[in-house]
Amino acid sequence: MPALLAPAGSLGAVSAALDAGADAVYVGLAGWSRGGARRELTGNELAVAQRRVASAGRELQVALNTIPKAVERARLFEQIAALRDRGIRSVIVNDVGILTDLKRRFPDLGLTASIGCGAQTVSDVAFFRDLGADAVVLPGTVSPEEMREIRTVRGIRVEIMIHMVEEFVLLGKCWMPSYVHLQPTVFGKASEPPGAGDPPDGGRSGLRLTGSMKRGGVGACFRICQQPWELYDSGRLRGTRLFPSRQISRRADVAAYAEAGVDVLKLQGRSLPEELLAPLVRSYREAIDGRTAPAAEQAWSAPLPAAWAVVGR
Amino acid sequence: MTPFELNTTIANLRDLRASDLSDYDAVYLGDIYCRIYEANFLERPGDLQEGLRILRDQGKRAYVTTYAAPRNDFLPGVRRMLETAASAGAEAVEVHNLGILKIAHDEFPQLPVHVGGFANLYTASGVEVLRGFGAVRFTPNYELSLDEIREITAGCDAPMELLVHGKMPLGVSDYCFLLDYEEKWGVKCPDLCQKELFLKQGDWAMKSVGKGILSGKDVCMLEHLPRLLAEGHRDFRIETISESPAYRREVAAVYRAALSRAAGGDVTLDEGWWETLRRHARIGLCNGFYFGKSGMEYAGLRPDSMGSLLTISRVES
Repeated sequence: MPALLAPAGSLGAVSAALDAGADAVYVGLAGWSRGGARRELTGNELAVAQRRVASAGRELQVALNTIPKAVERARLFEQIAALRDRGIRSVIVNDVGILTDLKRRFPDLGLTASIGCGAQTVSDVAFFRDLGADAVVLPGTVSPEEMREIRTVRGIRVEIMIHMVEEFVLLGKCWMPSYVHLQPTVFGKASEPPGAGDPPDGGRSGLRLTGSMKRGGVGACFRICQQPWELYDSGRLRGTRLFPSRQISRRADVAAYAEAGVDVLKLQGRSLPEELLAPLVRSYREAIDGRTAPAAEQAWSAPLPAAWAVVGR
Repeated sequence: MTPFELNTTIANLRDLRASDLSDYDAVYLGDIYCRIYEANFLERPGDLQEGLRILRDQGKRAYVTTYAAPRNDFLPGVRRMLETAASAGAEAVEVHNLGILKIAHDEFPQLPVHVGGFANLYTASGVEVLRGFGAVRFTPNYELSLDEIREITAGCDAPMELLVHGKMPLGVSDYCFLLDYEEKWGVKCPDLCQKELFLKQGDWAMKSVGKGILSGKDVCMLEHLPRLLAEGHRDFRIETISESPAYRREVAAVYRAALSRAAGGDVTLDEGWWETLRRHARIGLCNGFYFGKSGMEYAGLRPDSMGSLLTISRVES
């Protein structure tokens, strides 16, 4: 059966995810995992999280899924060395160059190609396998039927983001926000002592320009696609509309994905508070374990509770 | 042989035949956004062969582009198209997707690969990775500044292809929301995305081409061409995938003249060139991300070139 990989944006959420049955938990490292509405853990918090996860016999993965500028690269490598010292063995990255650099420098590190890498096809997965990735994340828009073909590629773990918001523009293929504006962002928590998990490039007290979700250092999404747009046809106003987006939660397809050979079911939602995260993780745990009554399975096709919708991916 | 290459993109045979390409050195054939874009070269091997022949007969370098966001069921068609490109003498294939890069590298190693803007090239080490898969030319992600691009080239000495004019790609989708309007407007696909459609929010705008979102303003690097040449760039794109043959011809004429002049050390610009570019820019001009500012700002000496949204807000109904 596939493993369940849950998000956590706080130490409380880490515990909640473990208690609810997650096989693994992923967290963001402050300054290196996009930030925004999604919560990140400082180096000290990460150390605590790792102890909790390890003592439960599970795995902690760390998202390092921004693309650092050249001058920040050395700092990133230092951070990773510190992560390894703390027992962390798996990181999630977002750039093919960073992925291969890390593979060379830290051959024992597990490397996952983030959903932001844009993989959707059997060939994409084969590409990341050839590159040396241990796992690749595909969006929940990829069907079990597509996944069966994708799973003909061996030698790499395939994860599916089975619970996520699908925006109109594909993840990793959007820089609309930075077309609007680049917003200097303060980052770092003044109350935290220096150490692993500090923002890159001396950002504790500084400002960084942000752009798209993946732009160097800290990306930010200004969520412009979620605001109303006026549509003009040859200069004539034809209406106001939103870009289509939807919450994907394919609980009803858990068995089909398992049958297709998916290795990991991943949930989006580092922004979710622990009281909302726990029932979400539990429901997928039950689906994986086949502990849900048929009536409940039918209900999985129904709309989700609004509170489970992922905010600020 | 000019010391630079000026190229563009054309989606189908009709547009190719209607276009005066005399000021271009090379053309990419195909629409990267949608398989059912009207008569897309990428779905019509016969048209692609004919397109490649037309370009060769005109003495142009003939390239083929590929889809930005394919799914499994695209791939048989992609292989057919790559086979046609290879057998019909395409000089390179542009890839925006890493899976297609692998297919091109493994199955059509004779085809040089240009990496497109949706491939998310942000780093020098990314260049090295993609070189390992046969890439020989690279379009950096559009949101990189010229300084950041220089950091990449300093680290790997790779030829970069830069968008110098036209609407900058901002995103790609699996879905075409214009289909919502087929019934309401009485216009069917594939005619819908041929309309001049802009999305406006507050003081900025984007152009919709169905599954693709482009900048509303036209990126314009006219007054910065000497810098681009001085920094070693030689391959320049005018993005005209959603533009008229007149746009394609007149904008290229401006850039051909300006680049030739700049290559000879003359940095002066004719006022008529600005008039041409302003006339074709429905919303105005911007510099994209080249100067470390938000994509729709204009950072040059011609602030009057920024334009305004008045052109699309006057005629509300």
